[in-house]
Amino acid sequence: MAETTQLELVTPADIMVQKPAEMVVAPGAEGLFGVLPRHAPLLSDLVRGIVEVHENGKVANRFMIDGGLADVSGESVTILTERAEDLDKVSRDDIKSRADAASGAEAEFLNVVLAAL
Amino acid sequence: MPSLKDLKTRINSVKSTQKITSAMKMVAAAKLRRAQDSAERGRPYADRMQQIINSLAAKADPSSAPQLLVGNGRDKTHLLVVVSADRGLCGGFNGAITRQTRTEVARLRDEGKTVKLLMVGRKSADALRRELGDSYIQSLEGIQGTSVAFSDAASIGDKVRDGFEAGEFDVCTVIFNKFKSAISQEVTLKKLIPAEVDESAPSDDQGVSYEYEPDEEELLAAVLPRNISTQIYSALLESSAAELAARMTAMDNATRNAGDLIDRLTLVYNRTRQATITKELIEIISGAEAV
Repeated sequence: MAETTQLELVTPADIMVQKPAEMVVAPGAEGLFGVLPRHAPLLSDLVRGIVEVHENGKVANRFMIDGGLADVSGESVTILTERAEDLDKVSRDDIKSRADAASGAEAEFLNVVLAAL
Repeated sequence: MPSLKDLKTRINSVKSTQKITSAMKMVAAAKLRRAQDSAERGRPYADRMQQIINSLAAKADPSSAPQLLVGNGRDKTHLLVVVSADRGLCGGFNGAITRQTRTEVARLRDEGKTVKLLMVGRKSADALRRELGDSYIQSLEGIQGTSVAFSDAASIGDKVRDGFEAGEFDVCTVIFNKFKSAISQEVTLKKLIPAEVDESAPSDDQGVSYEYEPDEEELLAAVLPRNISTQIYSALLESSAAELAARMTAMDNATRNAGDLIDRLTLVYNRTRQATITKELIEIISGAEAV
């Protein structure tokens, strides 16, 4: 098993993901960046986009996030975001019905999620 | 002296009240578990946010820091965000918030400041409407149910931020009931603008030089608005857990009081019944002796 970094994806309601990853790619305000274990401490603003979790050299999970913050240290990556969806777990229909029911920023975000599915 | 029939009716009515209060207690207890759970799950986000702000604020230059952190230099108009419940029958829960708001408004007015109020929850809004209704900028209800949506907190947060940027007020404080345990709540005042920074808290990045992307100040400017919504969200979560806990305790007391009352009434009922029987016996016996 290759060296890993501890990923935490936290939303206001819950800790959504908590697992070790070989690499995490996040949509930083100044461009996508990858985080490997033993990364230098970094605090970055995030924009709306996809967080990729790499395991065994492949993308294992993809999460759409609605902007936020990434707090990176040598052994962990904490992503704070207001909204997040696991792109492998949600279904088109589900997102679509929620997008229709939601309004404002949330509906906008869900439409982006829909487009990415 | 109430008749036997009156007593019987009275006992039955107290019994049905007791059934209602004990059902409400059970409902509150079941909901409380969920609300407490979501309040606890909401904490990591707020805590991390606060940590990040603490460490950023320590590095920011006070003269050029965002106004959301240091305030706009004035202290004239205060906005109070008052979080109470939409529903009653929860003991001193709403009363405590109402009382605290009244004292706070009086204190600020004595200092010659203008007070504006944003009321969340129907109960305190109704209770204070007559005396402070002129200061309401808005009164919201229907936000706290079994679960609190972050989007509701975010829309209140946006309103607060827009108002601050438009110069409608200089300082913003939230008043809410903090959930301490299932039997106690604590009325808490939390400053939103300028942001509360705990400088004594040991930041976990001591000795580590962080890289910032973009730089500290832009980052701070991006985090602070989000922090307002986050703080409001956690206040709403705490308040709804506290409300259910207060209702549970209040209904538990009510059930117990109803039980005591039933016992007392039953005693009176039995005594009255006994007295009637004795009286009838005396009548029969003295009737027989007279013959």
